[in-house]
Amino acid sequence: MRVERRCVIDADRDAVWKIVSDPDTYPSFMANLERWESADDHPPGVGARYRVHWKIGSVPVGGLIEVVEFDDLRDFAWVGITGVNMRGRIRLREGRNGQTKVTFRLSYQAPGGFFGYVADRVAVGQVGRTTAATLKQLKQLVEQGH
Amino acid sequence: MAMLGDLKDWVREQVVSRVPKADLDQRDPDYIRDQLPGTWLLASLYFRADVQHLDRIPSEGPVLLVGNHSGGNVPPDTFVFTLAFCSYFGVERPFYQLAHNLVVSAPPLGWLRKFGTVAANHDNARLALESGAALLVYPGGDYEVFRPSWERHKVDFGGRMGYVRLAREAGVQIVPVASVGGQEAALFLSRGQWLAKLLMADKLLRLKSVPISLAFPWGLNISDLAGHIPLPTKISIEVQHPIDVDGDDQAVHDKVMASLQSGVDRLAARRRFPVIG
Repeated sequence: MRVERRCVIDADRDAVWKIVSDPDTYPSFMANLERWESADDHPPGVGARYRVHWKIGSVPVGGLIEVVEFDDLRDFAWVGITGVNMRGRIRLREGRNGQTKVTFRLSYQAPGGFFGYVADRVAVGQVGRTTAATLKQLKQLVEQGH
Repeated sequence: MAMLGDLKDWVREQVVSRVPKADLDQRDPDYIRDQLPGTWLLASLYFRADVQHLDRIPSEGPVLLVGNHSGGNVPPDTFVFTLAFCSYFGVERPFYQLAHNLVVSAPPLGWLRKFGTVAANHDNARLALESGAALLVYPGGDYEVFRPSWERHKVDFGGRMGYVRLAREAGVQIVPVASVGGQEAALFLSRGQWLAKLLMADKLLRLKSVPISLAFPWGLNISDLAGHIPLPTKISIEVQHPIDVDGDDQAVHDKVMASLQSGVDRLAARRRFPVIG
């Protein structure tokens, strides 16, 4: 399943990237986040690993993730190493009047064949709400600090 | 009388010989991973489970998780917690659960061993902890799990505290795991300890109880050996703070009981209706 939500933040890309590129700030804007902690001593960037869980349904869902793209002022992307198969991406693009267009994508696939497919379908609503709420909180965080 | 004694010994031998030896390698992380979505659906949609404070469990190394047990022979809290633990720490972290001999030796439940379920005895428990795994135990066992439904919010191990010695010998912390809701999955009427004695199940099968309940689809359910279909009761679980094993057994046991009971009281206070939650 792939979930995508977008928003426009009334701030330049430098201000948004300052937050997006610093995973230590993620607990302050990621919705339903139960756990976000560094899994190694790697500085933020490609190769850094984190233990991440969102509360989806009854229990925390997630696992160990690794940052695979860290493109300055443009893209921050990760893949799941353990837990559900997952890819995540926060994409920043230039908007009008100094604004920034932000896209948050989550692609995921639960294991387990048929039940995994059903679980993916059941979870998609909550994942969508979580993604939208995350962007809303990111927008507030950037615009309040701007 | 001699014949009766021989029969008792024979039955006991038959049961004991069928209890599989603990083989920690039977746990299969890939199998567990494949089952997680199905259990997640059941936990999220049917039991509307809510598991809190898994972050209180030490993130690595051996630890003894001690829970209050509910739900008869189909305890929803066990599988919900197993799902939560495996989701949070990953199926890669070794995690075992102790279960009654009859559970691990029942052929239809062989798949439980792939989840890391081993027969409840001191040797198996030590083996699991010494291997560096997390271990979930329910000291109240069949005594607690069949308590009457009107005592559903009472933590009662029946005086058992061998788990404290286990934790002390293995040098691990105890993390209490409080849960509510499981005892509303059926209407449990009596532990039936008198029936267990009458049928000599306590001597032959290590069963202290032959419980009596009203459960779907049987109606009146004696013994619960065939299990039952649990009502869709809301399961709430709260992990408590770790407890160091640094006093005598009774003192540590008292701390664990106090921690569990306060957790259960907190969860019960948030509950407005039976089953619905």
